[in-house]
Order: sequence, then structure tokens, then C-alpha cells
Amino acid sequence: MKVDGSVGWDLAKVGEQARKLEDMGYNGIMSAETSHDPFLPLAFAAQTTSKADLMTGIAVAFARTPMVLANMGHDLNALSEGRFVLGLGSQIRPHITKRFSMPWSHPAARMREFILAMRAIWANWHNGEPLQFTGKFYQHTLMTPFFTPANTEHGAPRVFLAAVGPLMTEVAGEVADGVICHAFTTERYLRETTLPALERGFAKAGKTRADFEISYPCFVATGRDDKEMDAAKDATRQQIAFYGSTPAYKPVLDSIGAGEMQPELNAMSKQGRWVEMAGLITDDMLRQFAIVEEPANIAQAFKRRYGDVVDRTAAAYGGLPKEQQADIVAALAA
Amino acid sequence: MKVDASLSTNLSAAPESARKLEALGYDGARTAETAHDPFFPLLLAAEHTQRLQLATSIAVAFARSPMILAGIAHDLNAYSGGRLTLGLGSQIKPHITKRFSMPWGAPARQMRELVLAMRAIWNAWYEGERLQHVGEFYRHTLMTPAFTPANVSHGPPRVTLAAVGPRMTEVAGEVCDGIILHPFTTLPYIESVTLPAIERGLRKAGRKREDFEVSYGNFVVTGATEEAFAVSKLEAKRRLAFYGSTPAYKGVLDSIDAGHLQPRLNAMSKQGRWDEMGELIEDDVLNAFAVVGEPREVPGEMLRRYGAFTDRTSATFDAADDAERAEIIATLRAGTG
Repeated sequence: MKVDGSVGWDLAKVGEQARKLEDMGYNGIMSAETSHDPFLPLAFAAQTTSKADLMTGIAVAFARTPMVLANMGHDLNALSEGRFVLGLGSQIRPHITKRFSMPWSHPAARMREFILAMRAIWANWHNGEPLQFTGKFYQHTLMTPFFTPANTEHGAPRVFLAAVGPLMTEVAGEVADGVICHAFTTERYLRETTLPALERGFAKAGKTRADFEISYPCFVATGRDDKEMDAAKDATRQQIAFYGSTPAYKPVLDSIGAGEMQPELNAMSKQGRWVEMAGLITDDMLRQFAIVEEPANIAQAFKRRYGDVVDRTAAAYGGLPKEQQADIVAALAA
Repeated sequence: MKVDASLSTNLSAAPESARKLEALGYDGARTAETAHDPFFPLLLAAEHTQRLQLATSIAVAFARSPMILAGIAHDLNAYSGGRLTLGLGSQIKPHITKRFSMPWGAPARQMRELVLAMRAIWNAWYEGERLQHVGEFYRHTLMTPAFTPANVSHGPPRVTLAAVGPRMTEVAGEVCDGIILHPFTTLPYIESVTLPAIERGLRKAGRKREDFEVSYGNFVVTGATEEAFAVSKLEAKRRLAFYGSTPAYKGVLDSIDAGHLQPRLNAMSKQGRWDEMGELIEDDVLNAFAVVGEPREVPGEMLRRYGAFTDRTSATFDAADDAERAEIIATLRAGTG
């Protein structure tokens, strides 16, 4: 099992953060796209690390064109000598259209085409194939030597796709190199919805499970004493309640027979009753979504539940002391 | 005038390239967007320099959403302590639609709106104004605290615009902090078309010329040896012939009564006769585009010809060694040849 750690957005600090994560044994360095560009931190991480994968977790695909992402992905993969993983996510319609002023439609079909368009661009740059991509959403038919990168020895980066619903998950199985599952996932959802959808995607592309990575950044509630543990459980309940209020995630609640909570959580969220919402998450639900263990037992508990399914994980034990994190990472890797 | 030089877009070479430019006395380093992303090299340059100004020259504006440009430019400007200039260019329709798969509208109008959209985004981030940009080409109406950068002490980067035609030039004057002139331009064109269009733009926005930077990299034909000089001259003629074959630039040739060359060059370019095309550029045409002379004569002639309106130059020139190069840079910066 590989373990990914996250760096922040402060470009003055990310290089050192990445170095420390690699020293602790983390296999991957992730940067997220919220209030900052997710690629710049990884350019610094590429310089301060030598083994770790460098991954956007995630970059908003539809905010950009396949050409711009293909280019940034190529450059980061070359700089990191083949360690870059382009983790993509769709975001949701209002953010794409009203924040980024970019088109949104048919997210799964569009994402499939987006990734195939990037692969066509890379095949052109890296293998000299003609660029003749004419899809429903994207057209890339012009490339000249002047705009073709020459440093092609590390080839194309890997592409991972964040997916929750079965359609997007199937696209990940078909055209991506890995899937990034949402932290808001239960074991039953993973086994009964995610895995079959991936298998359908693999079958379409003639791939096997061995060609593919499943990344699942599971919720972990942990603490070194009762006080820390209670605080971690409360914080995790809060997150579960927040995600549970989202209509698109109702099927995940359905997987543990809690689907009827979704409209209630949604209504409460609109009234700003966040604390009360967390109160609706029972201890049993908490344990369905999260690993709730003291630090020494996290790795064993996670592997017992997910060891046969998950290839890489990322979790919020970043608050623990360095040595304890290193122990967890080592135990997960073992 | 300030003096800028090109930064390598090869990321493993960029840090050393940036350190060297700063040591030579250059004011700024600039990246072009050709086969590589233009922003990564500037990030590495920022890490390895203290005062060097950093600019894209240019990044392809219409290949990106204003939000993406606003975000990456914000990050680079904040990290570099306010040293970023976001230099934008429109590219041409086939590259935007067929290479980048993005829409192409009315380029000058679209560019004006793109810059205003970025400014609206920056106002939302830095001044807490509500984001409500509803335009003809772009709509940005959603921004939440989770997506708002907190490191706002350096404010927005400067925005400059590459422009040739009068409409794009006027947009630069109206909504940008500077203009990047094309190397394929002449003094008569600058005086009769460019500077008046900038003035119109500035007037529209109620701004003054001193709030605005004109960046111009004229052709330089020079060489530390006879041989280098001959190579430099041949290359300049070939590049002039290449640009001169472009229909959109005929107006520039017209400015020196050489418009008749354009259709001939264009026809030859379609036959791939690139080497012969250079032979059509006579010395008087070359002299209208290029400062021609010994390395030590170059800065004085640049200042004499262009000093009155050029705030920063990106001209590239050969020099015998680093000491001579540093001297040329110092002369240009001092402003007296």
C-alpha cells in the first residue's frame, strides 16, 4: 500500500514540506486546487524529492483545455523524471460555468474525451503520431514542430481521475491509470458500486486490474488520548454531515441504508445548522466511513478493511508527530 | 530604458539562466510560450533571484480562462514578492481553435474583456468586492472564501499586452499596464499607428503615459566578429522575410513603402522558398527594422532611435564577452549613449 501526503499552497514552504514527507516514507506528494494553482507547488517538490510520486489531488480538468493540461503535465513529468501523476476531477457545474467561465455538459462523457484528447496530444509529441483529435467536446488538429516539446524521454505522465458516481468511475477504469475515490465512501459502496464500475471500464479498454491503481484517502479519526480522539471524531462527523448533505452523494449514504438522511442534512445545511448536522451522524455511521483507532492500530485496521482493494491511501494523520506518522506509513507499506 | 532578456524554458536550465541574467545587470527575464508552459520557468527564476523582474512574453491568453490566468499570475506574483508581469498575446485563430480547442471571437474586444475579467477577479480577492463580471465572452459570478487566496499583500501583477494593429494597441492603452511591441515594426509605424492608438486607449481610461510601459525589442544586427556579423545579418533578413509574408503585417511594410513585398513573400512562403525570401530584403528595408553596427555602437543607436518612447527593451544582441554585454546593458539603462 502506498501512502500519499499533502503539501500546502505556500510556495515558500512546499519544497521543504515535500522533502519532509519523503523522509517520513510517504510515497506520494499531493497538492490540491482550492485557492491556488495546484501545479506550481509540485515544480518545487520535484526539486526537493527524488523518489516520491507528485500528484495533483485534484486539478479541475474542465477549467482548462486538454492542450494546456497536456503541456503542464508533460513539463512536470519531465522535470520530475517521470514521477508526475495528473490527478483530475470534474468539479461541479456552477464552479465550471460561473467561477471558471468554461463549458459544462455530460461530465463523464466529456471527461473521457478530455483524457483521450490529452493522450492524442502526448502520442503526437512523444511518438510522432499525427494530431487529429476531433471529438464532440474537444478538437485538436493543429500541431507544428515549433510547439512540440523535444524533451520526450520520460514520456507522458500518468492520469488519475477522481470519481464517485458509476459513470465517472467507469470512465476512470477505461481511460485513466488510476481512480481517486472520495473520502466520503463506505466499504460497501467501494465494493458494490466502485469496483464493478471500474471492471466495466477495464473490460471496454481490455485492461486488467493490475494495470490500474485505486487511491482512497479514507477518513481517519485518531488521537493520542481521549480528548484528542473525541475532537477527531467530532471533526470527522462534521465532514461526513457536510458531504452527506450533497444530493450527488446520496447513493453513498444509500449503501449503508442511510439515504433518507440526505434531504434532511441538505435542508439543515441551508439553514446553517452545521453543528446539529454532525449530531445526526451516529457512532455506527462514523465507523462505516472512517477508521476510528488509536495511532498504533490505524494501519492494521485500514489494511484489514481495504487491503485487498486499495493500492494507495492518504489520510489526515498529518497532525501526529513525525515519528508516529512514519510508523503508520511504514506499517501501511509493509 | 530597462533591459530584458529571454529565460530558458528548459526547466533544468532555468535557475542558472535566471541567476546569470541577474548578475549581468538585466532588469527582467521573460518567457515565451512555444513548446513549454511559460509559468514554471518563472517560478524557478523567482526562487533563484532577488530583484529580477519576471514576465511572460507572451502567454497565450485565449488558451485559458481568465480565472486560471488570474490564479497562476497571483501565485507567481505573491511568491516573487511582486515581481511578475503577466504578458499576454492573442495568438491567431487557427492556433486558438485548432491547437487549443478554445473559442475565438473578436480578438481586440475579447482581449479587453479577458483583462477586465481578471481585474474583477483580483478585485474580489484583494478588495473583497463581489465578483460579478458578466460580459460578452466571459462570465465570472461565483467566488467563495475556500477559493480565495489569503496571501494578498503584493496585490495584482502587472498586465501587458502584445499588440500590432491599432485596435489591440488601443486595448493595451485602455486596460493594461504596458504594451509589448512586435519586433517586426518600424519607426514610422510606431509613430503613426502605435503611439496614437496607445494615447487613445489611455485617454479612454483617464490614464497617463507615465503609468504605462512600452516594451520593444527591435532587431539588432551585430557581431563580435565579421563572421558573426554576417550570420546576424542573414538571420535578420530571413526573419524579416518570414514576418513580412504575413498578410496581417502588410501595414508595417506599407509604413516604409515596402508593402509590395508582402504578396511576393507570401507566395514564396507557400512554395517553401524560405532562404530566397531573405534575399528580397534590401539593406534599406533591413535598416528600417534593425539597428545595424558594432556591438558598442548598438546601445547608443537604440537610445537615439527608440529612447523617446521605449521604456524597456527586449532586443537580443551579440557581445564579445560578459563584460561587454554588461557594459551595453549599463549604457541602455543609463539612457545616454
